[in-house]
Amino acid sequence: MRIVAPIALALALVAGASGAEPPQTLVPGVLTVGLSLPSPGFQAGAVLPNKRVVAARGLEIDLARSLAARLGIRRVTFVNEPSFSRLLARGDKPWDIALAEVTITPSRRGRVDLSAPYLRADQGVLVRKTVAVPRTLAALARLRICVQRGTTSVEVVRERVRPSRPPFLFAGVELLFDALRVGRCDAVVLDAPILAAERAFAPDRYGPLAGVLRTNERYGIVIGKGSALTAPVDVAVQALVGNGTVSRLQRRWLLTDLRRLPVLG
Amino acid sequence: MRAAILAAMALCMAALLSAAAPAAGSGAATTHVYFLQGEQLVPVSRPGSTLRATLTSLLAGPSKAEAAKQFRTLVPAGTRLRSVRVADGVATVDLGEGFAAGKNADSLSARIAQLVFTATAVRGVKSVRVLIAGGVPLGLFPGIALSRPITRKQASQPVVPPPKPAPDPSGPARPDVRALQQRLADLGYLAADGVDGVAGDQTRYAVIAFQKWQRTPADGVVGPQTRAALDQAVRPTPIRTGPGGHRVEVLLDRQLTLAIDDNVVVRVMHMSSGKPGFATPTGSYAVFRKEARSWSVPYKVWLPWATYFVGGVAFHEYPDVPIGPASHGCVRTPRYDARWLYDFTPIGTPVVVYGRS
Repeated sequence: MRIVAPIALALALVAGASGAEPPQTLVPGVLTVGLSLPSPGFQAGAVLPNKRVVAARGLEIDLARSLAARLGIRRVTFVNEPSFSRLLARGDKPWDIALAEVTITPSRRGRVDLSAPYLRADQGVLVRKTVAVPRTLAALARLRICVQRGTTSVEVVRERVRPSRPPFLFAGVELLFDALRVGRCDAVVLDAPILAAERAFAPDRYGPLAGVLRTNERYGIVIGKGSALTAPVDVAVQALVGNGTVSRLQRRWLLTDLRRLPVLG
Repeated sequence: MRAAILAAMALCMAALLSAAAPAAGSGAATTHVYFLQGEQLVPVSRPGSTLRATLTSLLAGPSKAEAAKQFRTLVPAGTRLRSVRVADGVATVDLGEGFAAGKNADSLSARIAQLVFTATAVRGVKSVRVLIAGGVPLGLFPGIALSRPITRKQASQPVVPPPKPAPDPSGPARPDVRALQQRLADLGYLAADGVDGVAGDQTRYAVIAFQKWQRTPADGVVGPQTRAALDQAVRPTPIRTGPGGHRVEVLLDRQLTLAIDDNVVVRVMHMSSGKPGFATPTGSYAVFRKEARSWSVPYKVWLPWATYFVGGVAFHEYPDVPIGPASHGCVRTPRYDARWLYDFTPIGTPVVVYGRS
């Protein structure tokens, strides 16, 4: 049976980009992916009583599947983590990796491993229908701006936009979008990818994405501190960014190539 | 015959408005499923009485005859009914992943409304818990919380405050603008209160209406061709001579509404009717329901100054009235004309929708 060996080797090469053995996971042969549902465009699904997520969809769902294929792992299962802070807490995890638009910060790096960034997020500006689209920071500053309380958007608006009227603050994203829809606000400032996703879901409700304010926040994949998966996941993420997979997913799920948006400031 | 159809539709709408489960008939058991027509849900009868039979009929969609009358469903074809059970008035409906297919928020919202209204039309069902592939949906239906059972009342409640009217444009009045506006008003394209010398959307919409009647490209700009046509134009006449008094003609090919009094066209109004797949049904109807502030249950949007003339199809105000067909079947009317048209059309006013004028 001498021919068997080369075939097996070829299969191994096809399975893993590096040709190496798939890394060890919690359940052998399965990549268990933690989520923090929901997030428009990024992740949605249906949660079973045991927290397993079925009918999962979104940019981060597809990204997790591409990542698993890259690592040579055939199966992916998703589990929901209702508490976002628990995703970033120290200690053992009930998943191998987690994706939840987690911005990479030094303090988080002290508690968990964070992969190379898969998405760079700037702040975006979404305007209501029928308002003149602002092309400059000065034009934006003249509009009634709405932001979500407690986010980096609040500081960006106060420090960089300096609007002529104080911005309206809203507790949740849905209230924010409703206010824009009914005309209480002229413009909403929020993470650009989230705005892009919301607008893609409901194109009739809003005016265009006017542009971005560069903040360079970067989303990374969460891995347990010191996990054997950290190094291979890092390599795989960089490969998926480099070969255009992530851009393709952005176009599919966010329907807007954010790099093409005008830069307002 | 037409009167019988209208009466039947009025009864259907009355059932919808009262939000009561249809009474059990004396003959064979019938149930009701909810489809879309215009901006609202409309019930149709089906044989059967159980929740399973009713939901199976919903998933099957409108009949050919219903589709010809522009009844639509936004439940994706081939959606599987995995299981149903009822306990303490709560129906737990587990549907295949196909029910959540697609990314359009309007469509996802409308199919949930169809499901809730249909399930709660079944005797003994007060609320609906929706499961997808056995799980609780999170984010699959943007803007709709499904972690708890929803009642028909919850599915009908407005989720945004009513819109406030946008301010009118201001600026210096110009004699040339005033002259154009006077000409448009004399021909019936502009309301008398729109003659103020200030250029804005109201004037632009009137120019668009004129261009649409002339069947020239509608861009709302008065160029040499439009100017020459305006100089020669006469007030439009009705498509058909009809009874005296107030009536309305809707011209789908021209995307115009004609308000007619004693066979004289009082106003010609720019409008936008149903987009492809949601065409406004042609035929002869009469105004049967008026709501100064109407809420679209399936699409979750306010429809100010709504005048319903068949099923869920109405004239209503809308902030965005594009040149071509863009609605779910209703007749979108600019805010400058919507209130006027509402006052012009009491209950019973004849409305005829023409495909070709």
